[in-house]
Amino acid sequence: MADTPLLAAGTLPPSRPVTPAKGQPVPFRGGGFQPVPIRGVAILVFVLLIAALELGTRTGVISNLTMPPPSAIVETLWNLAASGRLWTHLYPSLTRLVIGAAIGTTLGIAIGTMIGLFSLARAGLVPLVSALFPIPKIALLPLFVIWFGIGESSKYALIAFGTFTPTVVATFGAVDNVDRTLIRMGQSFGLSWWSVVRKIVLPGAFPGILSGLRVSIAIGIILLVAAEMLGAEHGIGAYILEAGSLYDLERLFAGVTVLSVMGVTLSWLIGLLERRFLSWRS
Amino acid sequence: MAFHPISRRTVLGAALGTAFAFSAAASAQATEITLGALRLTSHSPTYIALERGYFAEEGLEVELAFFESSAAMAVGVAGGDLDYGVTSITGGLMNLAQRGVVKVIGGALAEDPAVEGAVILASNAAYDAGLTEPSMLPGHSFGVTTAGSSFHYMLSRIAEGEGFEIGDVTMRPLQQVGAIVGAITSGQIDAWAIQPSIANRLVNEGAAHRIGAISDYDPSYQVTAIFTSTEIASEEREQTEAFLRALSRGVADYNAAFVDKTASQEDVDALIDIVHGYVNSDTPRETFARSLTEGSMRINEGLSLSTTSVQAQLDWMQAEELVSSDITLEMLVDPSYVETH
Repeated sequence: MADTPLLAAGTLPPSRPVTPAKGQPVPFRGGGFQPVPIRGVAILVFVLLIAALELGTRTGVISNLTMPPPSAIVETLWNLAASGRLWTHLYPSLTRLVIGAAIGTTLGIAIGTMIGLFSLARAGLVPLVSALFPIPKIALLPLFVIWFGIGESSKYALIAFGTFTPTVVATFGAVDNVDRTLIRMGQSFGLSWWSVVRKIVLPGAFPGILSGLRVSIAIGIILLVAAEMLGAEHGIGAYILEAGSLYDLERLFAGVTVLSVMGVTLSWLIGLLERRFLSWRS
Repeated sequence: MAFHPISRRTVLGAALGTAFAFSAAASAQATEITLGALRLTSHSPTYIALERGYFAEEGLEVELAFFESSAAMAVGVAGGDLDYGVTSITGGLMNLAQRGVVKVIGGALAEDPAVEGAVILASNAAYDAGLTEPSMLPGHSFGVTTAGSSFHYMLSRIAEGEGFEIGDVTMRPLQQVGAIVGAITSGQIDAWAIQPSIANRLVNEGAAHRIGAISDYDPSYQVTAIFTSTEIASEEREQTEAFLRALSRGVADYNAAFVDKTASQEDVDALIDIVHGYVNSDTPRETFARSLTEGSMRINEGLSLSTTSVQAQLDWMQAEELVSSDITLEMLVDPSYVETH
């Protein structure tokens, strides 16, 4: 009752200290901080940007040395697709990306999970991964050629190596972030170690692993161009490099557009995976 | 204390004033130009003209900008950072010319049947397996930097001369000359064609075999050209003529010493020292002197240009769809500066 004098000094009657009798209504302050999908905005941004570029290059405000008009890029892409050469470039690139990234991410998830689960693996491998991560993989390209030859295997190796380290880091981070109380609960219900890993740790780490995969795949696409610097006659990266050395901006941007579309498509596929496997979250 | 900043400012002002006075005096005497250069022996005339003061005598103050590849140099001139450059005639240069930003104003390195030119090499493994003549290239791999490069063009000349389809040879784009050297040495590619300074070194080291010469297929091949921006070519005639005169004297010295070998030994030694200061400075002088005297290709006297060869290269690039079919020789070349043939 020590606070009664204070309340008595105010406007509220001392008998009902918690509910305001006839104060202002309290507005609902929740909500927000929750991204909602808005249709059409992404397309609007693209359309505005491309329209501005088209206008700029056509009127000559942007010189033809710095940017080709988007319509010319579309025309180049169309010709590339119509002549069937898009496929001759896309097929080897996709093969390299899929095989390289599959090796890199599978190994990465395996090693990352081991680091997350076993203290010995963590003590031994985390410094190694930290040492490997910042190495520019492109700088190792000549070495990869000596190790794996000039053919396809050096390209797989480069992409695998590039996607491996970010996947390891994302995976052990995701395993670390699994709710410990859930693990303790499983243990107190008498689940075996393997059951805890399979039913609690791995499903709990999955969202983190998938978002790490988005980064790894993007890095894989970046490295595709580097991998095709050496001895690739066909491939989107080889096509871009050739266009660059010919100073053919239309082809350069057409190739870059294909890479971007690849990135968007793969990100969308990972989004599908997320929705398929993580529907239990909501 | 109060006087201190004033006195410092006065000193600074005086220093700045002097600096301005000096630079004004210098610009009154010499025109400053920026020149792109590669650390290759084929750029020797630039170094000779600079060190022997030929540029200075023409009233030019030359600043060298070093590049790793001639493709980057072409973009440098197009972007206005460089005034003049020397590069292989590539698809990139033609596409830039189509955009109206660069012009070829003279010729440099060229094939000459009387002088050793680019050499066709086979890797040791491929040579042992039977690749002993250029006619046997089909079914083998051939190193190039990129499609549309001079290496690609040389391969096309061999294909035409020997009558095989260029598509029967696997082209391996490796971006850099260094990467191709590594690939042919380790047998990852079967064949390559390269200027004699590099080819002879590889053959002498036993890293590759010589199987032919490019001059057998294209005896008047114009390998490199002098180029500048369209603006300079059309508006700075006096400066450009002075630049070409000075560089021509460097070319004359270079040809006399290393190609025709008419210069005195004393003169040759002096020139080797000049070039060695810029190119392969870390290799022993003896080795360098040998590669320079044995493996130097002719640079056209008076920087004359073989427009016939340039036209042939343009036709080929267009047939291969590497450059637009709208490009004409007039877009690429300004023939008013040097003798053309």
